Amino acid sequence: MKPLSRCPILSIFWFGVGGAALLIGASLLAQPCAAGNPEPAAPQTQKLTASAVQLERILPPQDLLIPEDTRVSMYENVILQLIKTKKFQHVYRSGDRTAADAPDLVVLHLIPEAFKPGSQKEREVITIAGATSIKVKVQFTSREDKVLLEKDVVGKVRFYGENMRATYDLAKKVAALVNESF
Amino acid sequence: MRTRKRSKSEIPADAPGSDPFRLNGRASESNPIRRKNKEMRIRSVQTILGVSSTQGELVRQSLRLARLLVICVGLVFTASAAPSFGQQPATPQNPPSSTIPDVKCVIGLENIKPGATGTLASLPTGLEFTTGNKKAAITISSIQDVFTGRESRQDVSGMGGTLVEAAIPYGGGRFVSLFSHKVDVLAVEYVDSDGGFHGAIFVLSAGKATAFKNQLVAQGAKVSTHVEAPEPKEQKQ
Repeated sequence: MKPLSRCPILSIFWFGVGGAALLIGASLLAQPCAAGNPEPAAPQTQKLTASAVQLERILPPQDLLIPEDTRVSMYENVILQLIKTKKFQHVYRSGDRTAADAPDLVVLHLIPEAFKPGSQKEREVITIAGATSIKVKVQFTSREDKVLLEKDVVGKVRFYGENMRATYDLAKKVAALVNESF
Repeated sequence: MRTRKRSKSEIPADAPGSDPFRLNGRASESNPIRRKNKEMRIRSVQTILGVSSTQGELVRQSLRLARLLVICVGLVFTASAAPSFGQQPATPQNPPSSTIPDVKCVIGLENIKPGATGTLASLPTGLEFTTGNKKAAITISSIQDVFTGRESRQDVSGMGGTLVEAAIPYGGGRFVSLFSHKVDVLAVEYVDSDGGFHGAIFVLSAGKATAFKNQLVAQGAKVSTHVEAPEPKEQKQ
């Protein structure tokens, strides 16, 4: 049998080396400047402090249709993930009367902004199609409705899993935001 | 014995000695067209009767294989369709039962692990979910709203199913993903003793959620009118 030619292997090798060099160069350029080069300082995120959090009911805007089970699942998953962060002594639910006694309470609002219903079958058969995604505005406010922190978070399920897994992904991201900010 | 020579059209088809596949005869030997025709007939007879012929055997073997393949594919389809066939007629015949087995509590009940499977019962006081030795109850007075929906679930799912699908060569796992079944989703919004808002989600077999919801409403559970969200894509097909 004719042995494999070295030319393709070499060309693939040099192609890989070139790609790696480009990636390294791009990542070095993307990094913030060193201390020698002064640059406008990024706004430092001040850590919030609170001993308790209350999650308000998720009420989507009238022009946005979200399945009720998705809405309920989002609420419950966020409650579970907030408890898991262990950043708060109490995690109160919406309407909980005992929350009135909490000294420094922050209120968490989840405002749905977009919802794309996917398909589990499409995801598993076609792979690149059928993703489910929920975009939510996460808003931490004080008891007096003063906005303390606001950020958009997107929950997705792309390849494997039921549609409701997008709510779990969203809750994990909200928990990560809480870990960053508190 | 006297025999009268008859023309070919006069000879009946079932008459003895009128065998169309007879080989010997002077006429056939003399006329080349007739001889050719007879040879062709002989070949066809050999194929039909199964006389040793390699081509015929090959055809028979391939036919046998094709038959086996069709039977196998049919069995696979029947097996996959069996659960859905079993569920559909049960819906209109059964009256709304107070206890539904094999219900999955997705999330939202106190002291019940998310994803637990158990029995959902409708009691005069409310609804009760039992799994193993754990129980969770929601009283009728605490229910704020009840929603029902319909979703599609894959027949082969979970970690094990995903591994099996990945193990099938040539992307065969995608074929397995085509098989799914419908399920009903029941979402119950309720408040606890402190007024805290909760939501519980149950996944039931198809056609049982609406009857259960109606039972809860008849017992006095609050239900609001709401706009139906669009169903996922696979349910429209």
